[in-house]
Amino acid sequence: MADVRDIMELEHPASQEVTRESIIGSDKQRKRPPTTTKTQKRPEGMHREVFALLYNDNKDVSPLFPSDTGHGYKQTKIKLGMRKPRKWKWVPFTNPARTDGAVFHHWRRPSDEPKEYPFAKFNKKVDICTYTDAEYQQHLRVDGWTKDETDHMMQLAQRFDLRFILMADRYDTEKFPKRSVEDIKDRYYKICGIMSKLRGEKKIYTYDVDHEKRRKEQLKKLYDRTQEQIEEEQFLLLELKKIEARKKERERKTQDLQKLISQADSQSETPRKTDKKLPKKKIANPSRPSRVDTAHILQAVETAGIKFPDYKNSGVSLRSQRMKLPANVGQKKSKGIEQMLQEIGLELNPIPTEEICQNFNELRSDMVLLMEIKSALSTCEFELQSLRHQYEALNPGKTLTIPPQLISNLDLENKAGTGEIIDVVGSPSTPTS
Amino acid sequence: MSGMLYGGDEIGALVFDPGHHSLRVGYAQEDTPKAEIPAVVGVAPDDTPKIEPETKPDESNVSSTAPAWKYYIDTTFLHTPRPSMDLHSYMKDGMIENWDLFEKIVDYSYDKIIQSESQYHPVLFSECPWNLRHKREKLTEIMFEKYKVPAFFLVKNAALAAFANGRATALVIDSGATHTSAVPVLDGYVITNAVVKSPLGGDYLILKAREMLEHMGIDLTPAALIASKEVVRDKDKPKYMKKKLSFQPTNSWMAYMIKKTVQDFQQNVIQVSESPFDERIAAGFPTIQHEFPTGYRQDFGPERFKLAEVLFDHAMLGAGHIAATSAGMCDVDIRPALYSSVVLTGGNSLVQGFSDRLSRDLSSRTPGSLRLKMIAANGTVERRFGSWVGGSILASIGTFQQMWMSMQEYQEAGKAQIDRKCP
Ligand SMILES: Nc1ncnc2c1ncn2[C@@H]1O[C@H](COP(=O)(O)OP(=O)(O)O)[C@@H](O)[C@H]1O
Repeated sequence: MADVRDIMELEHPASQEVTRESIIGSDKQRKRPPTTTKTQKRPEGMHREVFALLYNDNKDVSPLFPSDTGHGYKQTKIKLGMRKPRKWKWVPFTNPARTDGAVFHHWRRPSDEPKEYPFAKFNKKVDICTYTDAEYQQHLRVDGWTKDETDHMMQLAQRFDLRFILMADRYDTEKFPKRSVEDIKDRYYKICGIMSKLRGEKKIYTYDVDHEKRRKEQLKKLYDRTQEQIEEEQFLLLELKKIEARKKERERKTQDLQKLISQADSQSETPRKTDKKLPKKKIANPSRPSRVDTAHILQAVETAGIKFPDYKNSGVSLRSQRMKLPANVGQKKSKGIEQMLQEIGLELNPIPTEEICQNFNELRSDMVLLMEIKSALSTCEFELQSLRHQYEALNPGKTLTIPPQLISNLDLENKAGTGEIIDVVGSPSTPTS
Repeated sequence: MSGMLYGGDEIGALVFDPGHHSLRVGYAQEDTPKAEIPAVVGVAPDDTPKIEPETKPDESNVSSTAPAWKYYIDTTFLHTPRPSMDLHSYMKDGMIENWDLFEKIVDYSYDKIIQSESQYHPVLFSECPWNLRHKREKLTEIMFEKYKVPAFFLVKNAALAAFANGRATALVIDSGATHTSAVPVLDGYVITNAVVKSPLGGDYLILKAREMLEHMGIDLTPAALIASKEVVRDKDKPKYMKKKLSFQPTNSWMAYMIKKTVQDFQQNVIQVSESPFDERIAAGFPTIQHEFPTGYRQDFGPERFKLAEVLFDHAMLGAGHIAATSAGMCDVDIRPALYSSVVLTGGNSLVQGFSDRLSRDLSSRTPGSLRLKMIAANGTVERRFGSWVGGSILASIGTFQQMWMSMQEYQEAGKAQIDRKCP
C-alpha cells in the first residue's frame, strides 16, 4: 500500500487512525490455540450431571451465539492512549444548499478532506410549473382570478412545496378573496394541465373539484356525527346482521326441503341407486314433468348415503378402520343401519376382507339412502294428504282423487308404519335427514 | 465522515424561547436551556452618587446604557427588595412588547449566561403563533443590527414543541402563564387560521388561588421580607419577624413576590380532578398540607380541586374545548392526523392531573371514528421547556443549516424577507 502511495505521490497518513482493532487489539494476534480434545475422565460413581457442572475450560463457551468476535472481554487490558487522538477544529464551511454563500462554523477533523456539505444533497425542491407573462395572457386567463392573485398563489405553492392546506391558510386575504383549498388546487392543476399540454407532455393531471368538495362534505358529516347517531348506526347494523342471518337460515331450510323432495321425485323413477348411472338420455326424459332439474336430483342422490373417507393415501392402516362409520353419520342413522342389518341377518362387524369391506360399506350407504328416501317420501305423502284435506275443506263435498302413480306402494306395503314415520317427521320443514 | 450523516451538525447556534413566565436561553444541541430568566425586569432610578464608580461595584447586573436607570434581571436580583424598584414585564399577549427591556434581557443573556459574543452564534428565536409581522421584522432588525448575529431564524413555538415530541404534524396544546392555546401544526408549519387561544393559564390559576387564600385570611408575606419565623401548630397564628427595611417596597414588586408565594402553593397543592368537579368525590381525596413563608400551616382538601376546575370548566375556553375547536377548523383530511398526535406542553400543563383531565375532555369530543392519542413528555423539564428543546433539536439538524437567514441575506434584502424565510 505504501508503495502505491509513493508512486501516486500521495501523502502518508500522519498517524495511524484510531480504530476499534487498535484499541482492543486485533483478533488475529489472539488466535486460539487449537483446542486439544483432552477430556477429563469422569470419576467412577459420579453422576453425569454433576460431572457436567464441573469447571471445564473447553466447555466454557456460552450457549449464546457469539456476536463479538474480537474477544474483547477476554483481553484484560485495553490499549488506551497508545496512539495520538485525532484533532477536531472549529472550521468555517459553506453550504451549497444555500444561495447566499453564508459561512458558518462547525467542528471537523482537519484530517478529513473538506468536501461538499454532507447535508446539502437532501435539499430537494418540488417542481412547480411556471409560465411567462405572454403565456398567461394567452392561455391562463380565467374569470375570477387576476394575474396578481395567480402569481401570489404560485409563490405560495413554491414556499410551501404544494402543501395546499397551508397555502390556503397563508393566503393573502387582504388583497385577494378568500379561497378554499379546493379552489386553489383546482386553479393550480388547471394551470399545470394547460402548461403541460402546451409543452406537448402526454401525461396531464386533472383535478375534480366537485368530487373533492363532495368527498370532504361527506367526511365532515361523518366526523360531525353525535354519539347518539353513532350508536344508532351501530344498532341498525346489528339488526341488519340479525335479519340476514335469519334469512339465510330460512333459505337453508327450504333448500333442505327441496333436496328431499327432489330425492323423493327421483325415487319414483330411479328406485335403485345404481340407476343413477343410467345413460343421461333416460334421465333427461322423465316420464312425468319434474319440478326440479334432473342434474340436481342426480347430485342430491349422490350426496345422500354415507361418504366413507378414502384411506388409500394415508399410509398404513387397519382395514377394519375402513368399515368404521364416519363421524358425520348421526346416531339415528347408525341405529337404523344396525336395525336393518339385524333384520336381514347380517353381522354388525363382519370380517373385513377387501371384498366384504367394499360391499358392506356400499350396502350401508344404500341403507342410509333408503332411509332418507323413505322419510322424504313420507314427508311428501304427508304434504299430499294435507293438501288434499285443505282442498276438501275449501271445496266441501268434493274429494281429490290422487292419481295412483303418486300414491306410493310403500304405503300399501307398510300401512302401519306410515303414521309412525309421519310422527317422527313431525313438521315437514324439519326433515329427519 | 459516515458518522456525520446521523443528522446533526453543531454550528454553535443559540436558542431563545421567550415566554410570559420566563425566557429560556441556551446552546442548540443541549438537552436543557442554560438558563431560565424570569420575564420581568426590575427598574429603579439610579440615584447612587456618581463618585468613584470604579471602587463601588455596580449593583445592577446589566451594563445599562441609560445612566439614569438601573436594571435588575434574574431571580436573585429580583427577589431582593430595593427602594422604588418597579417590576415590568416586557411581554404582552405572547409577543414582545417593550423592546428596550427585552434588549436588557438579551444583553444579560450574552453577558452572563452565554458569556460569548453575539456575532459568533447564529440565533434561533421562538415566537407565538399569532406574532405580528412588524414585531417579527423588529426582532430581526434588532438581532442583525444590534447584536450582529451571523444568522437568524424564527419558528413558531408550537411547531418546536411538536418537534421536541418527535412529531411534524400535531395538535399542540400549550398551557403557559398567561394563556392556553391549541395550535395545529402540519409538516412543521402552523395553520395560523385554526389557532385557538384562551386566557386561562397559570397566572389565572394563581390569581384565583390568591383570591381564595386572601379570603381565608392567610398571610401571604413573601419569604424575602421575613427575617425569622417560629414553628407553630397547624392553623395557629404564625409567629415571624419581618425584615427591617428603611423603605416601602413598590407595589409591583410586592405583587410579583406574592405571586411567587402563591405559585409555590399552586405547584404543591392544586390538582385537577379527573372528572368535572364534584364536592363529594373531591372530599374523598387526601388533603395536602402547605406551609407558607410565614410558617403558617394548613391542610387543603376539596379546595385543591375546586381551584383547578377553572381551567376546564368553561363552556368556551376550557382546554378540551379549545382543542376540539381548533381541530374542527382544520381541513377534514388532516383531522385524523391531528387527533392521533395531541402534544401537551407548557409549564401550566404540569398542574397535577392536567393531562388526564384534558385527555378525558378531549376524547368525549373526538369524532367517533377517529383515534385520539395524547403525547405528553413525562419529565417536568421537557414539558416546561418543550419549545426550547424543539428549537435546540431543529437548530442542530444538518439539513436545517440551509434555512437560516444570514447576515448577507439581511443586508441584501432587509428585514421584510423574514416573512418569506420563516413561514
Ligand atoms: N411544576 C409545576 N406545576 C404547576 N405549574 C407549573 C409548574 N411549573 C410551572 N408551572 C406554571 O407554568 C406557567 C409557566 O409556563 P410556561 O410554559 O413557562 O409559560 P410561558 O411559555 O408563557 O413562559 C407558570 O404559570 C407556572 O406557574
